[in-house]
Amino acid sequence: MSKNKIDITKEVMSKIERGQLKMRPKWMFVVGSVALVLGVIGTYVLSVFLVSLISFSLRTHGLMGAIRYQQLLDNFPLWAVGLAIVGTVTGIVLLKRFEFSYKNNFVLIVLVFIVAVLISGWLADYLGFDKVWVKQGQMRRLYQQYDGRGKVLPWRSGDDIYNFRRGNGQGRGSVYTK
Amino acid sequence: MDTLTNLTDEKVVELVRKDNKEYYAELMERYQIKLLRYAGNILRDEHNAADVVQNAFIKAYVNLNGFNVNKKFSSWIYRIVHNEAMNEVLKNRKQIPIGEDVEFDSGVDIEEDFIKKEMMENTHSCLNKMPGIYREPLVLYYLEEKNYTEISDILRLPVGTVGTRINRAKILMKSICQKIK
Repeated sequence: MSKNKIDITKEVMSKIERGQLKMRPKWMFVVGSVALVLGVIGTYVLSVFLVSLISFSLRTHGLMGAIRYQQLLDNFPLWAVGLAIVGTVTGIVLLKRFEFSYKNNFVLIVLVFIVAVLISGWLADYLGFDKVWVKQGQMRRLYQQYDGRGKVLPWRSGDDIYNFRRGNGQGRGSVYTK
Repeated sequence: MDTLTNLTDEKVVELVRKDNKEYYAELMERYQIKLLRYAGNILRDEHNAADVVQNAFIKAYVNLNGFNVNKKFSSWIYRIVHNEAMNEVLKNRKQIPIGEDVEFDSGVDIEEDFIKKEMMENTHSCLNKMPGIYREPLVLYYLEEKNYTEISDILRLPVGTVGTRINRAKILMKSICQKIK
């Protein structure tokens, strides 16, 4: 053994005995794990919603023209994308640092997550959840911005009357039924 | 302490958590030399290796409640040392060649055999010439006597990749050692 090797055991134990080192309480890890799971679920739901929304927009308008593209860019909730990236990265960093999940292939997990989001988003669109969201709930306004039927009249939500076309300089438009 | 030595690492961890802080010394005694050797192989500097191992033991103690006792403590602590050593490598950015006077206790009687010592020196100089991605699995497999699953846990690589890297490392090692001769 090297002569000048520091006696690590003594050094660390003296810090523990003097109270300089303290174990993090178990509840911190429990809360951390729960928060992480909730974060992943939240990110997943949000991502599914975004994929569904994009798919819905494409289906109702065909491939995006310049105007729709601009509208999409203007209204796209970029904060949600940021949240998804930050949440996922934070989750992976925390998992790598504290969890004993060494056998997990994180690249594979991220890929599976993205594929699951795309499939779920497509399924939500295919099974018609978007039709529910377009008529009710908190997502109604956002969806109606993408459905090509103009702005929403708040007092007419849920009706079959959607459109609010602007007239000639009057700021008013004709209302028509489907 | 006699019965303590017979306990598994994971049982000792449980005891430490139950306010038997002094038992943490047992865990450190079990791993100190092995981890110093492992960190030394990554960093090629004894003092840095000692710092890294000390920090790893401190981090392990602070986060001991986050350790899952159903898993292997040895892989966990090796992983922490690996992370710390990698941080140190990134911090320094320069590889410090191992000094001639630097040696890590292998647990084997040093007086034994001059040829063996020379072989060890040759092996170390070959190892030092290898890229880290091949050196580390090789060190873990042959020097630390870890199996593929444990290495995959420590390095967070799929078991297949570990096998491939060890095989490539052996070929690389052979060619490097032949060139040195």
